[in-house]
Amino acid sequence: MNNRIKNFLTTNEMIVVYIIIGLAILIGSVNPAFNSISTVVNLSRTMLVTLIFAMCEMIVIVSGGIDVSFPAIACLAMIATGNIMLKNHIDSVPVAFIMGALIGASLGTLNAVLIAIVKMPSLIATLGVSSMTSGATLAIFGAKIITNLPGKLDKLYKVSLFSYTNADGITYSLTILILIPILICLLGWLLLKFTMFGRGIHAVGGDIRAARIAGFNVKGILFFVYILSGTMAGIAGVTYMILMRAADPSVLMGSEMMVIAAVVMGGTRITGGHGTVIGTILGVTLIALVKNNLIMLGVPAHFQTFVVGLIMIIGTSITSLKAKHVANSVKV
Amino acid sequence: MTETFLELKDIYKSFGGVQALKGVDLTIRSGEIHCLAGENGSGKSTLIKVISGAHDPSQGEIYIEGSKVSRFSPIQAIEHGIQVIYQDFAIFPNLTVAENIAMNRAVSTGAKIMDWNCAKKLALEAMEQIGARMDPDILVENLSVANRQMVAICRTIINDAKLLILDEPTAALTSKEVQKLYTILRCLRDKKIAVMIVDHKLGEVFEIADRLTILRNGEKISTGLIQEYDRKRFVKDLTGRDISESTYIPSTSDDEVFRVENLSRKGAFENISFTIKKGDVLGITGLLDSGRGQIGDALFGIHPAQSGEIFLHGKPIKIRSTTDAVKNRIAYVPEDRLTQGLFLDRSIQDNTIAASIKKYFIRGRLDERIMFKETQEWIKKIGCVAPSPDPAIRTLSGGNAQKIVIAKWLNTKPALLILNGPTVGVDIGAKYDIHRMLHQLAEQGIGIIVISDDLPELIQNCNSIIIMKNGRIAGTVESSTINETELAEMLSSQ
Amino acid sequence: MQKLINIFKKTDRIALALLVCSIGITIIMGVSHPKFLGKSNLQGMLIQIPEYGILAFGMMIAMIAGGIDLSLVGIANLSGIVAAVVMRNLNGTDFSIFPAILAALMVGCLCGLFNGWIIGYLEIPAMLVTLCGLQLYTGIALMITKGPAITGLPESFSNIANGTFAGIPIGALVFVLITLVLCYLLYATVYGKCVYLMGTNTIASRFSGINNLKITMLTYAISGIFGSLAGILMASHYNSAKSDYGTSYTLLTLLIAVLGGVNPNGGRGRVQGVVMSIILLQLVSSSFNILRVNAFVKTFAWGLILLLIMTATYLIERRQSRD
Repeated sequence: MNNRIKNFLTTNEMIVVYIIIGLAILIGSVNPAFNSISTVVNLSRTMLVTLIFAMCEMIVIVSGGIDVSFPAIACLAMIATGNIMLKNHIDSVPVAFIMGALIGASLGTLNAVLIAIVKMPSLIATLGVSSMTSGATLAIFGAKIITNLPGKLDKLYKVSLFSYTNADGITYSLTILILIPILICLLGWLLLKFTMFGRGIHAVGGDIRAARIAGFNVKGILFFVYILSGTMAGIAGVTYMILMRAADPSVLMGSEMMVIAAVVMGGTRITGGHGTVIGTILGVTLIALVKNNLIMLGVPAHFQTFVVGLIMIIGTSITSLKAKHVANSVKV
Repeated sequence: MTETFLELKDIYKSFGGVQALKGVDLTIRSGEIHCLAGENGSGKSTLIKVISGAHDPSQGEIYIEGSKVSRFSPIQAIEHGIQVIYQDFAIFPNLTVAENIAMNRAVSTGAKIMDWNCAKKLALEAMEQIGARMDPDILVENLSVANRQMVAICRTIINDAKLLILDEPTAALTSKEVQKLYTILRCLRDKKIAVMIVDHKLGEVFEIADRLTILRNGEKISTGLIQEYDRKRFVKDLTGRDISESTYIPSTSDDEVFRVENLSRKGAFENISFTIKKGDVLGITGLLDSGRGQIGDALFGIHPAQSGEIFLHGKPIKIRSTTDAVKNRIAYVPEDRLTQGLFLDRSIQDNTIAASIKKYFIRGRLDERIMFKETQEWIKKIGCVAPSPDPAIRTLSGGNAQKIVIAKWLNTKPALLILNGPTVGVDIGAKYDIHRMLHQLAEQGIGIIVISDDLPELIQNCNSIIIMKNGRIAGTVESSTINETELAEMLSSQ
Repeated sequence: MQKLINIFKKTDRIALALLVCSIGITIIMGVSHPKFLGKSNLQGMLIQIPEYGILAFGMMIAMIAGGIDLSLVGIANLSGIVAAVVMRNLNGTDFSIFPAILAALMVGCLCGLFNGWIIGYLEIPAMLVTLCGLQLYTGIALMITKGPAITGLPESFSNIANGTFAGIPIGALVFVLITLVLCYLLYATVYGKCVYLMGTNTIASRFSGINNLKITMLTYAISGIFGSLAGILMASHYNSAKSDYGTSYTLLTLLIAVLGGVNPNGGRGRVQGVVMSIILLQLVSSSFNILRVNAFVKTFAWGLILLLIMTATYLIERRQSRD
């Protein structure tokens, strides 16, 4: 039993928890303003879209692949939805999300075909799709940013779960959009842990040949994973648009590095088969914490990319070395 | 009288003009352990694939429990209760023991929800049936090979196996684990399950089998109760030759080639000392966990020894990496030819020169023409059947490819040649060629170490044999004073 | 004549197919738009080719070794910035160009060695390492520049990419030189043989006494040096250095390598194929420019071509394995 507690305390998740706690104490001691509700509100705002991305990336990596096309897909979903709704005078929140999801799903299908049927390496396939998507997005819709979103989408931004006014009279409100990533995490957890399909995703990531022998529909599983990833990217794009009250055709490009780093830091093995929802949430939290508070720690803005890069390389090294250690350790 | 579960009649199978099976009959009864023996290339694996539905026979009939089946598919085979455990077990390292055991059943019943409690219950039941004990919540990647095999067996049990086929199940097990496996197999036999194991190790076959079928060159040579066989007949049916009792006796010399003193590496081997004189072929044997392979890995610097001294031609040398080993002209033919020995997609030429590339860097550039010429010479010299140095090495048979691995090292003019399992998966003709080559090299003054579990090979080709147990030298014997049975007994005694 | 046929036979099919495509495009464009073969367009092409062509070589060599180098663009920008800083600190004299170039090459080499060490010694997947590397090197670049581009470089520095020698842009000459160096490295040195062998099977190369760590570090160091060369050319071309130039080059270099027949699984890929694929892509790109196609359509086309080529290779291989 002692052993179990020890094992629990040294899991990847717990290590990330320690780092987060340590960082929080450090930031809090340098800048007492950190210790307030506003930090939580700001943090959840930063995490919101990243978490949706991270969830789809985690599921893809568990299945043994990688997806770098989600920022492009999200951008297309965002700008296309915004444009179509404005042009046709549609003003409905569900329509926006459904449209975003459909756009994402169709590009996800393209990824799936390339990876499951043409058997392309997933990095190259999704890189190609990413290039096509972002090129098409800019060629069709131009580089113009839309800021006059339909009224109902704009209104949704102002709906909050709760608001809090601090002593200085500044109000912080937690947007209702946070429910989207929470729901996705919950559903993702149920899917991965308690459905045969979710276990199938693990099985494919663990040993694709054995999965075939065991009778899993490997192609079906891969299709599902990439379509799911595309759909979620589409939803993330629409969410981002509402959150930022603008649709920008290239704003999310380049965020894939950060998302992959967050996922790997959360204990997901880049080689596939291992990954948890909790770990992913923690990884995203860590990255968001760093991104939001470097300035509080006195790190100049132009140092941020470097610091994040450093954390990425250390974090991924630790998790990769840990996986290697498991592979070499004494077996029972 | 037990009833017949499976009957194959006159099975033929050919692949693009090559006859892999030529009229094989096979009968397997419920509640027996049937051993299928045959050397590499005898058609064993093809036959298993026919039984498991993976290959359609070109001709012949299959009867299961008395009724004829036609158009046999893998799914049908499983429905009929035929389960195969391949050498890699086809299990998921990233999932728990319970999941691995319950997974196939859950998939085949089309379950949508993963029922963890049910999986655990099933797993515990299955483990109890065969007397295995594992934590059902542990990840399989943390299990030893033997326990992974247990997981695979448990999985077949809960799938109601009526015929369990194991492909070389003892290949990666320690002696204790083999005994445990046998206990389990006997227990399955007593439950009226038919068990077929593919094996060609003499000692093991006589210990476990009730009946025996021997294949050679795609033909069934003989079949019968184990009592009808003795050692001699088994070997004769298996190889087509009588047991040759000749051993290698080198011309004596006092020139020391290689000496090792008190070599140790924690967790692998301890206090290993031996001397090789000119003309000597030293055999190292032992069971899988005895540390025999690790000595080879250490001497070549893959996992270097931590303490001890190594002398080459009387001079002390240090081996801390493969680079050191190559510098000191130590050559190593590794155990796993396909992954460790060969660059499968590259040409025969590239494979031949892979360890001596520096030699061809003449006047500022690699001389491809000399490489080509020398590769051609090697092909001729070692009797490798290959049209030219150009084709990819994957086109060669096991024996010819192994000859190229040896040529790769001979091309470095080695002082010491270590061979780990030199003739695994090599056909008889090439095996003979390789053995003769080793004797010639030894006579030329190259130190030769043969690490193997093929006892006849050791007795015929080495002049002295070291027996390893638990990482220590348990004894050294002159091969002229011992026969295979005695050696086998020494190996398995505690 | 016999010799010519032999050479023809030895050239791999991929390079030949690309050559045919290139000639086709040249003829069609040359006839329909005579400007295509005009001096300014040709020179423009020769100025652009070296920048991403050399980056593509870096990607190629990493892929042959069984890895990938996604950090090339980061290395290129960082090197360009370091060169710019060195030149500015030496008051921008003509003489300062040499130490600047040397410093840039050193930076590229160091970044590459760092990548190679982590990949080879810690055995972490190259994709992950170089992805983090990109972030890291871009971050360092950003730390130096604090955001805006460094400008005001000596005029003679900008001549490296924009100047000509006997009517040929100097950058193009550098490119030819690098191509020859790469051919030598890959086909005529011990290192070259080892890199192909290691890319084919890492374990077997270890068991053949090849020092994998050394080869991996060398590979990424060379790749890093190529990155910094491209960075110097880029800085010279724009006459300024910035942390986010050429961000679209990562995909482009990957596309060039795959199109040129480099196997993403390692061990296969030849210089002739990659050179042909560089030329073909430049022809396509120039055609787009002359046809006044939106630059974004180009990005779209790159992705499409990459996916089509991979699909075609898959279909061809499947057909061959059936025969």
